[in-house]
Amino acid sequence: MHTLVVDQGRYGQSAIGVPPSAALDRFACAAANWLTGNDASSPALEVIGSGLVLRFDIETACAITGAKVKAFLDDREVKPWTTFMVSKGATLNVMEVLEGFRYYLSFSGIMAVDKVMGSYTTNLECGFGGYRGQALVAGDRIEITESGLADIRIVPQKYIPRMHPPHKLRVVEGPEAHYFSEDSLKAMFQKHLQNLYTVSNNSNRTGIRLTGEPLVFREGVEKSIISEGIMPGTIQIPGDGQPIIMLYERTIGGYTRVAIVTRADQDLLAHLKPSDDVILEMVSLEEAERLWFEKREKLSHIDAF
Amino acid sequence: MNLTRYGENGLRIKFGDTINIGTHEEVRRCYFFLKALHLPDIIDITPAFTACLIHFDTRKTSYTKLAELLSEMETDMASVAVPEPGVHEIAVRYGGVHGLDMSFVCAHCGLTEDEVVSIHTAELYTVFTVGFIPGFPYLGVLDRRLNCPRLETPRVRVPKGSVGIAQRQTGIYPFQSPGGWKIIGQTEAGLFNDKKEPYSLMQIGDKVRFIKE
Repeated sequence: MHTLVVDQGRYGQSAIGVPPSAALDRFACAAANWLTGNDASSPALEVIGSGLVLRFDIETACAITGAKVKAFLDDREVKPWTTFMVSKGATLNVMEVLEGFRYYLSFSGIMAVDKVMGSYTTNLECGFGGYRGQALVAGDRIEITESGLADIRIVPQKYIPRMHPPHKLRVVEGPEAHYFSEDSLKAMFQKHLQNLYTVSNNSNRTGIRLTGEPLVFREGVEKSIISEGIMPGTIQIPGDGQPIIMLYERTIGGYTRVAIVTRADQDLLAHLKPSDDVILEMVSLEEAERLWFEKREKLSHIDAF
Repeated sequence: MNLTRYGENGLRIKFGDTINIGTHEEVRRCYFFLKALHLPDIIDITPAFTACLIHFDTRKTSYTKLAELLSEMETDMASVAVPEPGVHEIAVRYGGVHGLDMSFVCAHCGLTEDEVVSIHTAELYTVFTVGFIPGFPYLGVLDRRLNCPRLETPRVRVPKGSVGIAQRQTGIYPFQSPGGWKIIGQTEAGLFNDKKEPYSLMQIGDKVRFIKE
């Protein structure tokens, strides 16, 4: 189990190497905060794995979003993606993760955690932000001020994304797409022709490594670039041709950037777990923009983006 | 101006294809110019060796609009005054337990440890960019006599304060982190402070000299 304080991300200091360290499923994180009546930019907990037990010393409203979980408040099962009230002394128990990988918990009120450079999110590598810059361990206490009971809200089923593998990730062309052979690009990205990739065990919050048919560099091209800024969701190809999807923990990189996961599909990256199958599919920028617009329109009424 | 698109919300301004001071000066000027504008359309700016990456807000602008705006400002950018670079002296303990790869570097370059140290401390380096982790300065240009490859398999943990070299660059690890550079020494200088501004000791364009401790 792994629990971190996250938010929508730390922006504005990329020039000194500070990465966003954002919640990997930003929609789920914002939705959890909407359910408890908090601002979308408020912190929440991002959790991997079952076995999370929280004891409440206050009365508050709570919500769980993201990966589909089986959770109990004392002996009553709680509905995910729905506000529930917690009384003083109650215990929340997450028994099982049924679909997806990371789930999010929000509590009505203000979590007393560290705000660094405008954001509460945890930079785990450097040890700042969130809960003392660290992952939470058994026995830790987070104070919540101004907690109150919120209205009951529900995220309608139709807005809850599918998180079951195989995952389809739509991508757009990256700056170095032309470094690779046409045939191998087709085999990686073209609809109906593309190979299946598997999420490697060697993945973490910095990057998701995929294994499968390697991408082939064109003859004579350099297999790396002079380090340059990278956008979240960039698919880098190191010398061995196996893709690495960069998340929110690096500002620059020196590997070739073949593609970028569309913004509409970036939240899904939070739910890629080791040995899941992944299909990559190249779409045009116009299509990517349309998908993002559609996603935002659909979700605009829950005020998440 | 050489503008290209990078995904849905990225715009690259490219100034060259090689690492050199002239290109660096242009990147640096562009970065300080854009930063001073405080455009609400821009979420983040990442200057590096040859290009500036702009992460823009698609709720406020579009690639086309931003590209037009930047092209209109090209002349202003060329004439903007940039801040004087900071100058830093960094005390380093070289070799032994402080420089895990010093013996490799000596063997690879055919130099004694004293020679490696005297070459490394002779140069006044320029900060070409800061990243991949907070506060890590990419310093150049390293003397060609110290040109060493990166480790084939990067270390999972490089200790905080490690001073490394890779090809024609040298750098300092502000935090314990993964890393593939050859480590020749260690400094106690604080490179990053998340509590107060300036968070990073160094920024693009600063000058650095290493001193043997």
